[in-house]
Amino acid sequence: MAAYITHPALSSLCKINCNINAIYSLISFSRRISISSVLSTSAVTTESEAAGQGVRGQRRSKRQAGEPRTERMTVDQDWTAVYPTAASFKPSTVPLPVRMGYPVKRGVPPAKKGNLELIKIPNFLHLTPVAIKKHCEALKQFCTEWPSALDSDEKCMKHFPIQVQSKEFVSAGLSLKNPDARIVTLKVKLSSLNLDDHARKKMIKLGEERYCKDTDTLTITTDSCPLRQQNYDYAMYLLTVLYHESWKTEAWEQEKTRADMEEYEWEDSPSQKNVLDTLLRMRPLGAKDEVEELLGQPAVQEYRDTMLRLKNEGETEENLHKYKEAVKKLFNI
Amino acid sequence: MNLHKLSSRLCPTVSKFRHLHIQSSGQQLEAVAVETESTEPNPLSVFRTSEQNPTYHSERHTGQYYTLPPAHIQKLFPHGLPPRFQLQIKTFNEGCVMVRPPVLELISYLKKADYSKPPLRYILYGDIGTGKSMSLSHALHYCYTQGWLIVHIPDAHLWVKNCKELLPSSSRPSRFDQPIQASQWLKNFKITNEGFLSKIKTTQQYVWTKRESTEKGQPLGVLVDQGVNRMKSSSDVVGAVLRELRLQAGGTTEGEGAFKLAVAVDGVNALWGKTSLKKEDRTMVCWCKPEELTLIHNLRKMMKNNWSGGAILTALSQTGSLFKPQSAYLPSELLGEEGFDNMEPFVPVSVSNYNEKEFESCYLYYLERNWLQHPHSRSEEGKKELIFLSNKNPSILERLCAFL
Repeated sequence: MAAYITHPALSSLCKINCNINAIYSLISFSRRISISSVLSTSAVTTESEAAGQGVRGQRRSKRQAGEPRTERMTVDQDWTAVYPTAASFKPSTVPLPVRMGYPVKRGVPPAKKGNLELIKIPNFLHLTPVAIKKHCEALKQFCTEWPSALDSDEKCMKHFPIQVQSKEFVSAGLSLKNPDARIVTLKVKLSSLNLDDHARKKMIKLGEERYCKDTDTLTITTDSCPLRQQNYDYAMYLLTVLYHESWKTEAWEQEKTRADMEEYEWEDSPSQKNVLDTLLRMRPLGAKDEVEELLGQPAVQEYRDTMLRLKNEGETEENLHKYKEAVKKLFNI
Repeated sequence: MNLHKLSSRLCPTVSKFRHLHIQSSGQQLEAVAVETESTEPNPLSVFRTSEQNPTYHSERHTGQYYTLPPAHIQKLFPHGLPPRFQLQIKTFNEGCVMVRPPVLELISYLKKADYSKPPLRYILYGDIGTGKSMSLSHALHYCYTQGWLIVHIPDAHLWVKNCKELLPSSSRPSRFDQPIQASQWLKNFKITNEGFLSKIKTTQQYVWTKRESTEKGQPLGVLVDQGVNRMKSSSDVVGAVLRELRLQAGGTTEGEGAFKLAVAVDGVNALWGKTSLKKEDRTMVCWCKPEELTLIHNLRKMMKNNWSGGAILTALSQTGSLFKPQSAYLPSELLGEEGFDNMEPFVPVSVSNYNEKEFESCYLYYLERNWLQHPHSRSEEGKKELIFLSNKNPSILERLCAFL
């Protein structure tokens, strides 16, 4: 195997979709191990030293610290050798003049030497682009080739509109398994499905909060079954059922009221009635006039457009301004 | 009334303690002052205009203050002006209103509108404290000078909250009356429209109780008196008065009785909002809905455009409204769905904060009135501070200057 794997227990072979939490838990796990090992050794040494000193109890002179390793680092060194795995921040090993912390009394943030803040936070010094390239090179022997025909995102979406995501976890603890590994997320864009107007509206209503209007994506997350395979099958089943149900029209769907409508429609709305009433009062219907003709006037159409914009897009100063213009035209002010 | 103004013009740097002396000796100065007024061109009144009639206000008057004649204030606005402005009138001894673009726009629409058609509804909307109520009062002053009949409800929110007496209606079982509010409004209506009360006649008979009724053909004044004297039926009287006005506004048949009707409601979003009045309903206490109140019900009928010969001027108001967030100021937010459907099609008129010129005017006006006592407020720095603190919002500026 490659040289970067020094501690088999600490290595993390993750799939691309592995999240930071998993890595973080590994780092904290490793840190716990390293700190606990340090503590145990120091406890042992102090005990032996105290036994050696005996009654005197004087502090032995501290050994001087040598020059930090950063002084001897060249610019073109191999960084993957310095930080091969996830490790805490070591100020003598990182040649960057980093400062972190609160500037007390209008001063500057404290330097990196002995800075607990820098040690506490997670760092990605082991995941530089060079290191990741090395990881990829090592993993390539286990991968199959990417199909050459799918060279752009659009083609991928066109041929594979359904995206299924799941997470893999590797842990070295009392149990190798992680219960979160069974969660499956299925994402599909409704534009790629064959839906007509009624089916689309019904699907969105059935999906409730699983549908995102901005990206037009339906996201189904399943975690009710214990195995990933079962959850995947369940998610596919849900998608199939939603699709077929939204194509059917039930008898009670005729009772859909204005409050249930997703978008504002001007036809048959109180707004249309008001405008019609007002116009009729201004000029009573002659023998030749017809309601449709009255409504077909350009001023009325413009009013209709502004109303639709006001109601569907929400009210803004700009929309209100356009509405004012339309009303003025309608009444010839 | 003008003594104070004249004396302050003559000695612009007088300290506040000498004001009292000057007012008493003003009579001696009056003779002198009359001559000086015509000769010296007053530098301080660049923000004032002498055009008292709103009919002639135009773009060149924007940012300038015009004085409301005190006789008009008493007649037209017995209850109508915003409370802080009323305090200002008492302090400065004069009521000065700034001419601003939204009102000029509104007045131009009123001038151009055709009064044989159904009335147009104008809604003044804007952020808190930008001057919607003041603009409404200005427009109403225009209508008054043109001789219209004014129906002015200064704040519709006062009718949906804090009513001490709520009686079940005598005429309809499911409604509630507010006798105090109704009779007070009728009193103010009488003061404003003194002239019309004898000219308009009722078109049908109204029966109030077994012994009281108003016959057909009686002048409107009798109806109004009935409501003022008999508190119990005052809410129904209001309804009757509004109905009569609706039927007869813009009447072309009677040459003498033809009048134009201006319905002005401030805080119109109260009509379709919620109330904070409780009703006892078979041992259960629940909130009244606005339509269960007689006054609100009748006012809603006025808001419809099924009559002709007038205009409906309204202003939205968040400050008095119930259960509405402070950030709401656009029409559909404050009116709600029902209100919007009832009020449209309407012409929205936006009222915003002062611009540079208007702020300058206001600042000079307060300086001239010696309202800004703090010495720092007269400097450029002070002015910049005022701009920053108030963001040129009229009401905040007014409250700030009150401290200085």
